[in-house]
Amino acid sequence: MNGARVIQTNALSKSYGRVQAVRNLNLAVEANRITGFLGRNGAGKSTTIKMLLGLIRPTEGGGTVLGKQITHREGNRKTRQRVAYVAEDKPLYRYMTVEQMIRFTASFYGDWRPEISRKLLLEYELPPDRKVKTLSKGMRTKLALLLAFSRNPDLLILDEPSEGLDPVMIEHLLQTMVAQAGQGAAVFFSSHQIAEVERIADQVCILDRGCLLLDTSLDRLRESYRRIDLVLPSEAAEHEFRIPGVERIRTNGRQVSVFASGNAEAVIERAHDFHAISVEVAPVGLREIFLETVKEN
Amino acid sequence: MLWYKAWLETRWRFLVCLALILLPAYEFFHLGTTLRSWEVDEPFPYFRRLFYSHAGSATVWQFAAIFLGLGGLVRERATGSSSLTLTLPVSRGRLVGVRVGVGVVEATALAVAPWVANLLTSAFRGTPFSASQAACCILLLAGGGMVYFAMAVLVSSVVEGEYTAVAIAFGVVILAYALSRDVEWLKALNLFPLVTGSGYVNKETFLFPEALPWSSILASLSVAGLMVFASIAIIQRREF
Repeated sequence: MNGARVIQTNALSKSYGRVQAVRNLNLAVEANRITGFLGRNGAGKSTTIKMLLGLIRPTEGGGTVLGKQITHREGNRKTRQRVAYVAEDKPLYRYMTVEQMIRFTASFYGDWRPEISRKLLLEYELPPDRKVKTLSKGMRTKLALLLAFSRNPDLLILDEPSEGLDPVMIEHLLQTMVAQAGQGAAVFFSSHQIAEVERIADQVCILDRGCLLLDTSLDRLRESYRRIDLVLPSEAAEHEFRIPGVERIRTNGRQVSVFASGNAEAVIERAHDFHAISVEVAPVGLREIFLETVKEN
Repeated sequence: MLWYKAWLETRWRFLVCLALILLPAYEFFHLGTTLRSWEVDEPFPYFRRLFYSHAGSATVWQFAAIFLGLGGLVRERATGSSSLTLTLPVSRGRLVGVRVGVGVVEATALAVAPWVANLLTSAFRGTPFSASQAACCILLLAGGGMVYFAMAVLVSSVVEGEYTAVAIAFGVVILAYALSRDVEWLKALNLFPLVTGSGYVNKETFLFPEALPWSSILASLSVAGLMVFASIAIIQRREF
């Protein structure tokens, strides 16, 4: 499956009345990779995931998950056999015990790994006989993750997986996600925690107001995104630095700050043309890229 | 395991309804067999008391059938677990189907349970018991009354909110009962004589004639079936 696309959407859109939750989304998630899905609250991340899993129908456009059309009822059912999903609100049956939840979920999947389930039950310190309704939020999240990680799926979709977890557990979660990808699963996860995405993701997608603003590899982001701070001998017009690759320019008198997604060399060259007094080039972290990207939108 | 989930969801409702539905049988156990001396030689007074015991259970059963039909995916949406159920590799039709299947079994068990208790009481006391009377009562109750269960399934597929569906389901039954009682051309919709058997039982012997109201039972079951199919269609189209 290396290089193959496990998720592919074409102009995927979803409207609720006049509100467009997702607009013309063209998303591609590759196998054997960890893809981080970033966006603000209400950006359309969960709506996109729900469409991929057939919980809601797209208003326009379509897509495939593991080669099956998301709008095809039977195809979607077969896809779910190969997808492990942890929803944002970590839904579980309140009236079941931890043990009952595990047995119930295991019965639907041929790829269930009982030894992993037992191991995680111990590691997560989940009480098998306790009813789900008596578990804390963190414990419910752990149980939801156990149900996903005890399988050997082709695609793991996690919606805000670290919500409600302590730092130790978050570390364990990130390592498990990396291990799952190492075993051949594609991991697609949404998060508000940019540091988590930056640590483990291979690919980053940024969604804002239903639009995909960025879809690129983290390596490319690290290589090409730069902040260039200039001090010029005299004030320069913003448009002088509007060259391909420049995403945003801020001027404050003789100081110019350029945020570039590439072509930093051209910006430096232009700065020299203006006899810049000072040129400072710094790599940009994902947090800054995210903030700049959604701010611009 | 879907049946197991459906059972866990409904077991308390089922057990409470079972306790309530056995109350008339309990009364029969205590009072139903104490007949006056001139009645003892005839079996019919026993059959009359068994029938009245059944009428009490049948009233409870109608409410129980509604309670058992409520719930499902739309209620799960209100409680936040629908996305777990819907991402299982199972079709929505099967999800509804299994839930309906478990509900039908439970409702049927509730129709049979009082008669099992009455049979045991009669055997214990050595008093007459008519298997045909029991079979007819169970058939009329479950066959004729399953429409209550199906109506609750349908309401639960349409109405969101934990308590709204309950209120609407009981509202529909009460309204239908009031209309069928007071409006002449709607009298055929009154299911009470059918499900209790009061419209068909011989008032002398309290046994049933050989020709049961099959067309009414069939009509009621057909409407119930249509309601279940409508529920499946609604759930398949619904967004969660």
